[in-house]
Amino acid sequence: MFRSIYLKSFRDYRVPILGWGLGLGALMAVVFAAIPTVFATPAAKAAVVSIGASYAWIAEPIKIDTAGGYATWKYGITILVVVIWPLLAGTGMLRGEEDRGSMDVLLSLPRGRVRIALEKVAAMWTALLAMGLVIGLLTFAGAAKVSSDLGLGAALAFGLNLALICAVFLSIALLISQFTQERRTASGVTAGILVVAIVVDMVHRVVPNTVWLSQFSPIYYYNLSKPLVPGYGANLGAMLVLLALSGLFAAAAVWLFARRDVGGVSLHLPERSSQPARALPQSDWSLRSVYSRSLGMIATSTLWWTLAIAGFAAWMVIIVKQTEASLKSLLQGSPAMADFLKLGGSDSATNASILSAFFIFMPVLLMAFAVTQANRWSADEEDGLLEIVLSTPQPRLRVLLGRFAALATATIFISVLTLVATTVASAATGLALDYGHLAAASLSIVPFGLLVAAIGYLFAGWLRAAVDTGLLSFLLVIWFFISFVGPGLNLPDATQKLSPFYYYGSPLLHGIQVVDLLVIVAVGAVALALASARFVRKDISV
Amino acid sequence: MTAPIIEVDGLTKSYGGKRGINEVSFDVAEGEVFGFLGPNGAGKTTTIRLLMALIRADGGRARIAALDCWEKALEIKRLIGYVPGEPALDRNLTGGQILEYFANLRGGVDRAYLKKLIERLDLDTGRKFRQYSTGNKRKVVLIQAFMHRPRLLILDEPTSGLDPLNQQEFDGMVKEARDEGRTVFLSSHVLSEVEKTCTRVGIIREGRLVKVGGIHELMDIKRYEITIAFAKPVPADAFARLEGVVEVEALSNGSAVRLAIQGAADAVIKEAAQYPVVSLTSYEPSLEDIFLRYYERDDQAPKEAARV
Repeated sequence: MFRSIYLKSFRDYRVPILGWGLGLGALMAVVFAAIPTVFATPAAKAAVVSIGASYAWIAEPIKIDTAGGYATWKYGITILVVVIWPLLAGTGMLRGEEDRGSMDVLLSLPRGRVRIALEKVAAMWTALLAMGLVIGLLTFAGAAKVSSDLGLGAALAFGLNLALICAVFLSIALLISQFTQERRTASGVTAGILVVAIVVDMVHRVVPNTVWLSQFSPIYYYNLSKPLVPGYGANLGAMLVLLALSGLFAAAAVWLFARRDVGGVSLHLPERSSQPARALPQSDWSLRSVYSRSLGMIATSTLWWTLAIAGFAAWMVIIVKQTEASLKSLLQGSPAMADFLKLGGSDSATNASILSAFFIFMPVLLMAFAVTQANRWSADEEDGLLEIVLSTPQPRLRVLLGRFAALATATIFISVLTLVATTVASAATGLALDYGHLAAASLSIVPFGLLVAAIGYLFAGWLRAAVDTGLLSFLLVIWFFISFVGPGLNLPDATQKLSPFYYYGSPLLHGIQVVDLLVIVAVGAVALALASARFVRKDISV
Repeated sequence: MTAPIIEVDGLTKSYGGKRGINEVSFDVAEGEVFGFLGPNGAGKTTTIRLLMALIRADGGRARIAALDCWEKALEIKRLIGYVPGEPALDRNLTGGQILEYFANLRGGVDRAYLKKLIERLDLDTGRKFRQYSTGNKRKVVLIQAFMHRPRLLILDEPTSGLDPLNQQEFDGMVKEARDEGRTVFLSSHVLSEVEKTCTRVGIIREGRLVKVGGIHELMDIKRYEITIAFAKPVPADAFARLEGVVEVEALSNGSAVRLAIQGAADAVIKEAAQYPVVSLTSYEPSLEDIFLRYYERDDQAPKEAARV
């Protein structure tokens, strides 16, 4: 496996291929395994169809009453998770090697830059195909138990479609990393593009006559193929578009890489004067303590997330007001929408209850932000950034809590700005809302973000950054299923209580449920206490 | 020897099944410059990270200024300036920002002295850490270790990446620290650096301390070489039997011998005097030679640390 850059790179991906492939494949197998229970009675089947319609804006439900249709719809929600590893691998492929300094050694070999980059890209594409194959085979194995009409070809086409969408975001990440000095920045920007792509794809399912807009999103082409849905199949044209996109982005990235400085960027901004400086910064607030430095570190990403979360919340307020009449008639005539409203804690189709149903996604978004910050904490230890900090007379506990406090400040900032944005949107559109409840709904998302961060810090006591992030992401997906799909599947109340979203309640309608919120705060505090206890005793890794 | 500032007794650390260090014991007196020598992977960094309470010992004890390194880590870190073996700092901060940040974490430093260090090592504080060369990155780390005039400096391969001019400056900084009565614990595999700056050395190998001693004491256990050229061939065997002769090699068809000698050369000189001597050359061993002796053959390594 060490005979070429291609084989060596492919070898490096063996753990993610197995881990991510088996994990996502097993998830699919579990979805199929649950189908006999989910479709146990005609009434249960009808409920699933209703839920599918409710969530059409996230994932299009096609023949959801069939095994393949149900599995495709349910899996469609997880696209964000599926693409995380390729996204991180794409930014690490060249920029990561440059960060570590290993690219210098690689380029000292008698091989051209283009060839080195192409071998790495080829290795990554092979890895994605292998991952797709594992997912396809596990899908087939899972489907075989519940449905005889799902062939191996369809399952493999499903895996191939996944590999293609992964390849697109991998190539976008690779391209973005040519313009950023650091891998981390490229990952953040690509993650932003991914979220935008998902939202742009959603648009045509929410707003009529906007397919043209959704066609700008690669996710749209991914969703055109539904190989597991009987009679729907794979869309060869869409798959070719994905292939072409990934080839185009990768080619552009390789072209740029061959022409830029190693360790440099493709687009140079004007540099400051080359006159050497001897001065020290004066009164820089961000350098005063671990807390203020941590705040400075996450300031930029917090601003982007604030823009996304507060913008999303304000957009929901505007949508509810603008489509007030049509939504009400749709909701009143649809039993499926009644279930959707129940998620928001209401049976009636008022503006507040509709918005409340949408608002349950706010903690999800803040928790996703917390996942990225927990990743940064464990990555900093891995990169040796804590070594010199801990050589100063700063207690370990203060270092950990300083970082956590900065994250808490960021989550409060996001929630306050969300409140401001929704209040302004509500006043501007004339949507009548109880501002006390709006404040409760916006501010009570904070403990949910902190809960995820505390669990991430706890995992970081033992796990490496990549595993920590993967585990947190899966946890988030599982909670999402339990809370948003679980009620329709008549999951026992005890199971639903395992998901933190259960405790968010419907603050937009009923204000803060103090006891429920205290449960989240208590669990978060315990996780943080355990994380602290572990951190003050553990060996600091390098 | 004055009271020890570092006391290490039976210190042991393993990483799962992998070796770390085993039963390492030594003392470092206040005010001395102690060199900690060993090849890569010998256990130097593990020992240092144990002293810095970055990792926890499986056994034994490490104390600095009579305080337990793990239990009293915070108090100890007020006394220490530290340079890690592989320093990593925030790549997006400038050198100046990094120094300001660590000065704040230390509760403030003498800014005039800090500026003096910056000028002395000729550091451009306005550039971001990621834009620095390896040598400039090392300068930032060195300055942050020296800037608060610590009582004890723990330096893990501190001059790696520095140019000769800055290495010389670094030597000066270490000597100044010593002259001010401060202690320096310097891990290195650059022997000339240790030879120049250290008063005592410890040699670690495969996780075990194999020798601790004053730098001159170590030099005294030297095995030196003498090459004697004669006017005519001489029997080399005659030298092999002599006391203190470790190795004999006949050169120039027997007209010269190269002898490796341990201890006094009296017997060799007397034996050589029986033949017409043309020239006699003696080679002083460098610390490099002494160092290599401890690593050249596994089966000759002492099991316990020897004190000379």
